[in-house]
Amino acid sequence: MMDASEREQYRAAIHGDREAFEMIIRTHSRALFAIAYGILQNREEAEDVVQDALIKAWKSRWRVRDPEKFPAWLSTIARYRARDVFRKRRPLPLAEELKEFSDAPASTSPSAGDMDRQVHTALAGLPELHRTALSLRYLEDMDYQTIENRLGLSNGALRGILGRALAAMRKQLRPALASLD
Amino acid sequence: MPTVHDQIDELLAADVHNQLSEEERHALHTHLVECATCRRAHQENKIMNKVLEETLATEKPDPAFEQRMLAGFRQRSPQWSGGLAKVIADLMRLRATQITAVAAVLLALMQVGRMITGEGAATSRHREYAAEEQFTANQAPLPASSPVGSLAKSENRRGTETDRLAAGKPFARGQSAAAPAAPPAKAKDEKQEPAGVERTIVTGSNIPTAEEVASQPARAKGAASEAGTYRAAEPEQTSPATANRKLIRNAQVELEILSFDDAVQKITAFAGEERGYVATSNSEKQANGKLKGEVVVKVIPENLDRLLQEIRGLGELKNQTLGTEDVTKAYFDTDSRLKNARVMEQRLIEILKKKSQDVNDLLQVEKELGRVREQIEQMQGELKFMDSQVQFATVTISLAEKDMNVPAAFLLKERAQLALYTPDVEKVYNDIKAVASPKVQITNAQLDRDNTGRVSARVSMLIAPEESDAVVARVKGMGRVENFQVQTERVAQGGTGMSENAKTERDKVELNVGISRDEQEQALQQTSLRIRTSTVDEKTKELRSLAEKQDGRVRSSSFSRDPDGREFANVSLRVPMKNYKALMESFGSLGKVENVSVQRQDSTGRQTDEANAPADLSIQVYSQGNIVSHDTGLFATLRRTLAQGIGALMWSFRMIGVAIAFFAPWALALALVVWVARRISRRRKQQRAATDD
Repeated sequence: MMDASEREQYRAAIHGDREAFEMIIRTHSRALFAIAYGILQNREEAEDVVQDALIKAWKSRWRVRDPEKFPAWLSTIARYRARDVFRKRRPLPLAEELKEFSDAPASTSPSAGDMDRQVHTALAGLPELHRTALSLRYLEDMDYQTIENRLGLSNGALRGILGRALAAMRKQLRPALASLD
Repeated sequence: MPTVHDQIDELLAADVHNQLSEEERHALHTHLVECATCRRAHQENKIMNKVLEETLATEKPDPAFEQRMLAGFRQRSPQWSGGLAKVIADLMRLRATQITAVAAVLLALMQVGRMITGEGAATSRHREYAAEEQFTANQAPLPASSPVGSLAKSENRRGTETDRLAAGKPFARGQSAAAPAAPPAKAKDEKQEPAGVERTIVTGSNIPTAEEVASQPARAKGAASEAGTYRAAEPEQTSPATANRKLIRNAQVELEILSFDDAVQKITAFAGEERGYVATSNSEKQANGKLKGEVVVKVIPENLDRLLQEIRGLGELKNQTLGTEDVTKAYFDTDSRLKNARVMEQRLIEILKKKSQDVNDLLQVEKELGRVREQIEQMQGELKFMDSQVQFATVTISLAEKDMNVPAAFLLKERAQLALYTPDVEKVYNDIKAVASPKVQITNAQLDRDNTGRVSARVSMLIAPEESDAVVARVKGMGRVENFQVQTERVAQGGTGMSENAKTERDKVELNVGISRDEQEQALQQTSLRIRTSTVDEKTKELRSLAEKQDGRVRSSSFSRDPDGREFANVSLRVPMKNYKALMESFGSLGKVENVSVQRQDSTGRQTDEANAPADLSIQVYSQGNIVSHDTGLFATLRRTLAQGIGALMWSFRMIGVAIAFFAPWALALALVVWVARRISRRRKQQRAATDD
């Protein structure tokens, strides 16, 4: 359950308290970033998405009836915005990016860069929701309940999602992992 | 229950993320010990987790991320300048506001619709009218209540009603209410007593308020009923008030009594009891042997009311008046003038005593003295008269023995009326008018012709008794007489009741004649029947000739043929009653007579000439038509069914058309709105895409 002060903060923000909203930006933008990043796999784009989502949330804050649902609502805005951006991407950005990535001079060990690339490829192959859940987990270290709350998932559903996501990842990356082990 | 092995992926993920409960973790690790596959998966998962942690750690936003977000937010959504916009935004959050807004929009649409259809003007006018009506309704009681001030504000309904009553005639009420309350001397007086000299004048300040009006009648009633009990104590009550006033009281009473002498005796006795006396008494014998007279009684004023009460018990009170005249001023004026005259007398005497030298002067003085003494005596007489008047109240009692008149004669009044039916109203009307002679006076004659050409006339006449029978017989001969009535009234003259030997006289006979055309006469008997025949046209002609033979007249006739080939002829006839039977019998030759129904209007108390009274017949001559109708049989039925089906189909098409016409404008409007909305959203998307690019 949400504690009273947090709830009050959301309520104030909904009623147009800028300071409360700025405080929400401070506390929530990283989570929003994680969501956007999970979908887009691109930091710049994700940051823009978070910015847009925040502006949009401020403008349409009066639509929220229940202050408790404010965080989930923010997340939803960010997800939709990220999805929009994802769809509008020019064809094959990922491939090019990856190519760029591989062409880039390896600053660290080549195996580490290779590993990064493989992880990203594997992530890109996952369903959107799985990616989002993973990024919330790994970027923000959120516990399951909070993630479920943010993504509007029912109780216990996240376990299945993350379990499948991890299983898919490890199966895809098995050779690389074996070498790492 | 799913086993651990089945759920291994979930459990392993939750395990590396530290999200397992103690039992789950225990169950998992127990399984891992047993299951090699899962153990391997667990190992891989751990590495996977680590790799992900390492990989994604680099993707985390830098520490300045929040600051950038804040800066961007501040820049892109500047603070709103006014509080008004905020208030409006906040208001829009409320559901009530949203509903109101929607309702307002709907209302506005409705209003626009009404303006377009021009309905608004009419309704508003109606409303104005209604309002005006209500206004007048509110206004109505106001003027009435205004004289009494702010009474109309009374809260309960009965209150206002009383107010209105009181307000309606505040003066009359005020008087009647104030009179009993005014001087104590009045309170005991009977209701009929006119206010007389002491009439209380109700001035503006005396107008009673509603509360007073409401309570005063009750009080007055109370006073009236209490008057009886107060009567004994009343002289003591009145004397202080009237002690130094000179009041002349007098009363007039009119009574109807059985015996005059008895009444006079009793009055004398009453007068003695009440310390009074009978001043004068006179009587007169009337034509019918009854006595009528007047008794004047003098009584001391204090006992006047008691005496009146007693006298009223003697017989039937017809009339009573009671008056009081205040002569105080006149009395004391005369008194002081008398004193002055006495002083004058004294001085003149003194002058005489001085024995003046001049005889002339002496003579003058003597003359003056004589004049003064005359005055003194006159004034003394006046005072004495007034004293006697004041000392005794005068009661004038008019007595009349009850009238038991016996009529002197009887007058026999005869009134006759009759209704004449004739083909020529005007001729009869003129004939009757020509009957006029010195012994037959036409008192009223009128001829009416209305716009449908109906003529009727009325003649009233007065006929000398000896001529009456002859004249009535003559008039009766002028047409068909209907409803001859004679009314005889015996009127007693010079009294009521019966008398054995009074003579009876016949007065002039009044005769009222109403003349109308015979068609207008209501038939004595109405008959309707049907005749079935195969040749309707022919038989109808035959029927007409039959009727003419029997002195009948055809009033109307019609002929029709229906699609089935049936023919109908309706004939309506009028024949004299004497020929009715013969005519009916002759119908048998025309065809089969059916459905005969006869209605006869017999009225009691009417003298009618039955033989000549008209009888109405309405006859329908008809044929049966074709035996086989066109409209039976398989094909006809089929055709009818088909026709009806198509008709229904067409009707439903029409209804659908109506419905479409009804909905089309709305559908169009809706489509327009959707189209505009879509266009706008598309435009916006394009813009956004442009900015994104």
